[in-house]
Order: sequence, then C-alpha cells, then structure tokens
Amino acid sequence: MSHEAALHTHESHGHDDHGHHEHHDTFLTKYVFSQDHKMIAKQFLITGMVWAVLGGLMSVLFRLQLGYPDASFPWLESILGKWAKGGQITPEAYYALVTTHGTVLVFFVLTAGLSGTFANFLIPLQIGARDMASPFMNMLSYWFFFTASIVMLSSMFVETGPFSGGWTAYPPLSALGDASPGSKSGMDLWIISMALFVVSSLLGGLNYIATILNMRTKGMSMTRLPLTIWALFFTAVLGVLSFPVLLSGLILLIFDRNFGTSFYLSDIFVNGVGALSNEGGSAILFQHLFWFLGHPEVYIILLPAMGMVSEIMSVNSRKPIFGYMAMLGSLFSIAVLAFLVWAHHMFVTGLNPFLGSVFVLLTLLIAVPSAIKVFNWLTTLWRGNIRFTPGMLFAIGFVSLFISGGLTGIWLGNAALDIHLHDTYFVVAHFHIVMGVASMFGMFAGVYHWFPKMYGRYLNNSLGYIHFWVTMAGAYLIFWPMHYEGLAGMPRRYFDFSIWESFKQFAELNRFISTVAMIVFAVQILFLINFFYSIFKGRKVLDPNPWQSNTLEWTTPINPGHGNWPGEIPEVHRWPYDYGKDGVDFIPQTTPVGENESSH
Amino acid sequence: MSNVTTASTKEAKWWNGGKSPFDVEYGKVMMWYFLMSDAFTFGAFLISYGTVRFSTNGWPDPNAVFKSFPFAPEGVNAPLVFVSIMTFILIVSSVTMVLAVHAGKMMDKKGVVRNMIWTIIGGIAFLSCQAWEWNHLHHEGAWWGLNPFINADGSASTTNFTNFFFTITGFHGFHVFSGVVINIIMLIMTLMDKFEQRGHYLMIEKAGLYWHFVDLVWVFVFTCFYLL
Amino acid sequence: MSQDTHAEHHDVIAEIKKVTIILSVLTIVELILGFWMIGITSPGLRLGIKGVIIILMMAKAFYIVAYFMHLKHELKNLIMTIIVPLALFIWFIIAFLADGNSFRNLRNNYDRNFKEQSTIKVEKKEAGAHATDEKGGAKEGEHK
Repeated sequence: MSHEAALHTHESHGHDDHGHHEHHDTFLTKYVFSQDHKMIAKQFLITGMVWAVLGGLMSVLFRLQLGYPDASFPWLESILGKWAKGGQITPEAYYALVTTHGTVLVFFVLTAGLSGTFANFLIPLQIGARDMASPFMNMLSYWFFFTASIVMLSSMFVETGPFSGGWTAYPPLSALGDASPGSKSGMDLWIISMALFVVSSLLGGLNYIATILNMRTKGMSMTRLPLTIWALFFTAVLGVLSFPVLLSGLILLIFDRNFGTSFYLSDIFVNGVGALSNEGGSAILFQHLFWFLGHPEVYIILLPAMGMVSEIMSVNSRKPIFGYMAMLGSLFSIAVLAFLVWAHHMFVTGLNPFLGSVFVLLTLLIAVPSAIKVFNWLTTLWRGNIRFTPGMLFAIGFVSLFISGGLTGIWLGNAALDIHLHDTYFVVAHFHIVMGVASMFGMFAGVYHWFPKMYGRYLNNSLGYIHFWVTMAGAYLIFWPMHYEGLAGMPRRYFDFSIWESFKQFAELNRFISTVAMIVFAVQILFLINFFYSIFKGRKVLDPNPWQSNTLEWTTPINPGHGNWPGEIPEVHRWPYDYGKDGVDFIPQTTPVGENESSH
Repeated sequence: MSNVTTASTKEAKWWNGGKSPFDVEYGKVMMWYFLMSDAFTFGAFLISYGTVRFSTNGWPDPNAVFKSFPFAPEGVNAPLVFVSIMTFILIVSSVTMVLAVHAGKMMDKKGVVRNMIWTIIGGIAFLSCQAWEWNHLHHEGAWWGLNPFINADGSASTTNFTNFFFTITGFHGFHVFSGVVINIIMLIMTLMDKFEQRGHYLMIEKAGLYWHFVDLVWVFVFTCFYLL
Repeated sequence: MSQDTHAEHHDVIAEIKKVTIILSVLTIVELILGFWMIGITSPGLRLGIKGVIIILMMAKAFYIVAYFMHLKHELKNLIMTIIVPLALFIWFIIAFLADGNSFRNLRNNYDRNFKEQSTIKVEKKEAGAHATDEKGGAKEGEHK
C-alpha cells in the first residue's frame, strides 16, 4: 500500500479545518482500525472481493461436477483432500459447496460487499458530511463483518465440513445434528457467523439511516438527494427491520439444536436413531421467519445497484434522470412490498391456498414499480449523448439483466406455475439473473465509476471492456439455458443428473454451461488484476471531476482526507440531475440557481 | 421538484438539510431505529409463539401454571398475583426513569441520581422475581424441552409451551439485565459529573428510551403468556 | 430556573402522574378480566375478553410510547418515521397466524393419528410434583 503513503502528502492539506487532524495516523489507525468512512468502504470492498473469488471458485468446482459427472480430476484431490476422493467431488462436498456459495455470495458479497462498500463510501460524500454519524460504530460494523467471515471461513476446515443444507438453512437439516455431516459443528459456526453478520448490518444500517437523515449539508433537501442515497436509505431501513427476524429465527434454531426444544421439529424418524420425541413444532415456521428476512434481503441486494445505476446512467447520458419522483416512489413501494411477499418462496410447503393467493397478488404488484424503474432508465438513455464507459456499460447490462430476470419472476410469482417450477433450474436461472448477476453488474458499475474517487486513479478501460462483454455474454449463456432445463423439470441442488434417463439429454448442455462458467470466472480474475494493478499503477486522475458529474463527491480534492472537504462543506442549491439544462452540459449541485434559469 | 421544496412551507424546511429533520441529535435517531429493530426481534418471537399456538390443538391454562407465590405454602392457588407484582415493579421503574430523564432536562443532578437509583432497584427487583419464578418452574419440572403441565382440556401438552415461555421471558430478562447495566453505567457517569461537564443529559434520555422499551415489551409478553 | 421552565416542570410532573395512574388502572382492569376469565368456559365469551385484553394492551403500549418515550412531544416527522414502518406488523401477524391456523386444520383433517393423540386425556396430576412422569423422564434422556 505504498502508494497510499505517497498520496498522503496530497491529503495533508485536507486536514486543517476540523477536529480530526490533531492525532497522528499510524498504520493501524489508518488502514486497519480506521474510522474514516472511505477506508471502511475499501475494507468492505476488498473483503467482499475475497469472498466473491472464494464463492466463485466454489461455483466452478460444483459446475465441474455437474458438467463432467464421470470425469476424474486428480488435482481436485490435492486441493480438497478427502472431499474429492479419487479426483471426484463427493456428494457431501458438493452440498457444502453449493450451500457456502449461496451464503457467502448473498450475505458477504452482495450485502456487505455491495451496500457496505457503497453506503459507506457514497453517503457522506454525496450528502455533504465529514463522516458517518458515528464513525466508531461504523468501524465496529466492519469488524463484526470481518469476524463473521472468519467464522464462516473456519467452518470450512472443521472435520465434518461446513453446513450443507442449502443457504436457506431449513430445519430439520439445520436443526438436527445427525441429519447430515454438515449439520454438526459446521452448522453451529454458520449460525454464529450469521448472528455476527446481523449485528454488523444493524450497526451499519443504523449509521446509514441516522447519517442520511441528520447530517445532510445545507440545502440538501430530501428531494435533492441523488437516487443512490435514496436507494441506500431504503436498503438500510430494510436491513434494520428484517435482519432481526432472522436473528429470532436463528435463536430458536439454536435452542432446537442444543437444548432439546421442538420449535421447528415434529414427528421425525431418523434412520438408525428411531423416532424423535420432538412434537408440536413446525419446520414451516422457520421458513416463514427466514423468508421474512430472505425476501427483503433480495431488495437489500438489488436496491443499491438500482440507485447506482440511476446515477451512472444519468451522468453518462448527459441527461437528467427521467422521472426522479417516480423513481423515488417506486423505490419506496418496492421497499414496502418487500416486506409483504415473503411466502411466495413457500407455495409448495402446504401454505394455505387462500393465503397463497394473497401472496401472489402482492408479489405481482412488485412488477409495477419495477417496470416504472425500467422504463425510466430506458427513457433516460433515450436520445442521450451516451458515453460508453465501462461503468455505463455495466449499468446498461444491469437493466438488461433486470428485465430478463424480472420477467421470469412474474412467472414464478404465480402459485399455480410455481408448483411446477419450484426448486428447478428455472428458479436458479431466475434469481441468479435478477439478483445475483444483476446486482454484481451494479457493483461493477459502481466500482468502475467511483474508482477514480476511491484511489485517485483510473481502471484500465480496455480490460474493462473485455470484462464487460465476456461477463455479459457469459451471464446469458450460463443462465438462459437453465430456464429450459427447469421447464423440463430438472431439479436444483442435485449432485448428479446422469443417472436419470429424463435428464440425460441435458448432459451436453450442462457441460456447455460449466465451460462458460469457467471462462466467466477467469475474466473476473482479469478484473481483479485490473483493480489491484490500477490502485498502484493506474492512470492518475488529474481532473477533480472526471465524469463531469453534478454530485458533491466530485467537489472534494482528488484524494480527499478524513473529513472529505478541506474547507467548509459546500452548500447545495439544486437537484443533482441538471445535465444539458438550458444548453449547459452540467451544473453542479453547488452552483446557485441563476436568475433567468428555467425550472426543470 | 427541488424548486417546489425551496418555496414551500415552514414544515418542509425541516428537511432542507443542515439540521436534523427531527430536531434531535443522531444518537437518538439511532436509538429509535435500534428499538424498532428490536421490536421486530421480539415481534418475531411473539408471532412465532402465536403461530405455534394456532397450529396446536390444545394449550395449557396459564392460570393453572403460574399460580404460586414466594414464601406461600406449597400448593397455594394464587394465579396472576405474582406476575402482577412483577408488572407493577416494571411500571414503577419506568416512572422513575421518566423522572430521571426529566430531572436531567432540568440539569438537576440530585434528581437524576435519586431516580436512577430507584430505577436500578426496580430492575434488579424484577430480575429477582423472574429468577424466583424460573427456579420455581424448574423445580416443578419445567424447562426447555420439558413440560410437566397438561392442556386446559386435559390432553397432553407439547413442550412448546415451556420452550416459548423460557425463550421469550429469558430474552426479555436479558434485555432487562442489559438495561440495568446501562443504567448503572449512566448512574456512575452522572456521579462523575460527566453530563454536567457536557452540559446536557442526553445520554440519560437514550438510556431511558431503552428502559421504556423493555417495559413496553413486558406489556406484550405479560399479556401473551399470562392473560391470553 | 426561570418562571417559564418552572411551570413547564409542573406540567411534566403532572403528566407523568396522570400516565402512571392510567397505566395502573389499565393493568388492574386487565387483571380483573384475567381473574374473571378463570371461571368462564364459553369459548365465545373467552374470545371476547381476550379481544378486550388485547385492546387494553395496545392502549398501554400507546401510553408508554407516547408519554414515557416522549414520542407524542416530538416533531411529526419523527413520529411518522417510527409509526409508519410499524404498520408492517399488521400483515406480519395476520399471515403468520393464518398459516399457523391452516396448518392445524391440515393436520387435523389429514393426519388422523395426530387428531386422536391430541384428544387423549392424561391423568391429572399435581403440578408441584417433580418431573418423574414418563414424558418428562424420556425427554430428559434425550437431552444432548
């Protein structure tokens, strides 16, 4: 990190006007236990990247099994040891990989890595604050996340392996230690890790909410906030209100596991053990509690991406965002609906059909705000003077994926269709496109767009274009065929399809998907190389406002110090989307409204 | 749009940035949102309890279970008496907490100290009552996974009655305990003149919010377990 | 202390007294209803009393939040940001309880063994006795 030291001379002048300059930053307080929101954001980003690589590697490994079920890869045994005896992944290892892949990508990469990074980085910079409301709690939030990820990582090295009952951790697999190898200490560590993660997201979320509400600079009214901030605000509210429900569910699960209760258990017979005495509980209760978090979680993942995409699209189309208030309203209604639709994940559990039909109705309602957002993005692009930067391409890619994945969501939201499609590859394709890859695209867009602000250097554009086009094509090549497999009834989470006559026809297709998955993974490594190379050796940013953007973060010095603005915090006089207004290319938020200026 | 807000009424000016739209400092916003979050934790517990009750055919009659009183002879039948004492203890401690917060607003250190001490005593008294009740129930054979009681209609009861009782009252008791610890810290800080130096007793207000929330949760727990 | 804050001080104390009395009265009414319910076997009436108790519970919650937690005297902005999200509880409660109820009906309709099991009466025994009955004993053995 020597370049940071070099940049320090740059920032030293940014420290004279507020309380932070008194103490001298040591390595430990600057890079490790930093209370600067920008450093914490980078910590979140890099930890998230480590997990993305690990989670991606896991998917490559289990795709290897699905694509080449009969082949043997001796090198696997040298990596995985007993989990790949004879060069073939064992079923237990396969389930462990699938479970951990889901858990880490949903929680560690797309929750902490995405909203942790960009909420921390953008909120103070874009609302005009020196730092978060409580920098100390912000630091704690990262270290709770870090501890959670260490616990999760350690679960991979226990004798019986990590938890292997799916990222949703349904009982009885998660509640009975005897249910599977992964249900033993692997599950205990999984619960501890998730509990720490809930604390982390709570500390972060409270901070984001309080900061956005209380710390806006003068003139930054709520309707002048960039849509990024609005999206991050709703994300934080969703997290603060839904994660505690998961915590309650996990506490009950701990009691079921260790103290002989039967919250989730009833009428169970275990081979070799006999009938269990647990009575009166219901495994479906856990599913309700889990999905009461789980569904808002989908939007915790998606909303930050939506916000950043709105911002990046407007900047790079040189046009105001189309329908600011409609965007805001749709964010709000998505956030509300997110809490009302959880049981659409549970249509085949024996849910009351009438209740199910209410959930169908509420679920389909989400299509309305989602469509509003999509049309607003498209009309923002319409006749814009578009600059196809890598960030912009990823933003457009996000919209494409959001449409394709969102439309299959309407299929799955119908209980009648869902009974056929539930737990097939159709579902896998749906949520990977709409939530997984789309949010990943939002994250990439954000990284490409704000990298100059984070590190004072640019990412390499050519590598960025290669990264985008291969990932974009790869995403569709991987997940589009899965829709057909799912419609044909191919269930998810199966170890080996080659033993079923009806799925033999997909052997070729599965191999194709696996091959593309590996190529796409390799290109992500290319992105990482670009990222870390550019931190140190990238082209230097010379213009404090490289994208000719209106928002406040570009009014700071190129390498802002702790406290962001060397002098006074600027005042805000207009909304952030005055692009191409009255023939002027862009008017920053800090520019006072002229006398003859037309209102937008 | 932004033009509309600039030229709007006084009320909208709260949102124009540069100050808190709620006219409170950030810590209080955080405390309120933390309590909301905690409300969902307790809500999830109580709703789970309700769900299991709704999915079960019979349920023990609380009056047949919670009918004992400390120092009373074995087999005394005094339903609701002990728990009503616990409820009043918590309400009274909440009242003394309000008085402490109010004394803080008036910069009346003596009043803060006096009322904080009463609040802490109330909290400890509540915890003692709960400890006694748990101990008593445990002696009757009730614990997580053990339910000696039968349903009101005379059929066998599932262990979920005691499971939920111990989990939820335990989680509430844990909150009372942490509230007492917070209050003790606040008392020590008051005695050390920390708040006099700061010129305000806002920390006491935040601790008060937490304490009232604990009381609030008890209102729900009390009703759900002892009355319904 | 100026005259103004002094008058305010008395107002606040008076309000605290008032709310304390209201909370005590509500609790006492709840307890009376609770005692009354012990002797009542009619399911309809029991349900009605339970409904009243829930309303009283909500009233108590209102007084604690509004006066003790001071929410009523905050700006409307803060009140709304607290109250509006709590509305999520409505559907949270309805959906969970409805599905719990439906689960019971399903089991009673399609699992005859379950229905029979839940109607068998057990010998009434003194609750004060130690947990030496089969059920408790078996459970204790299960303990991990």
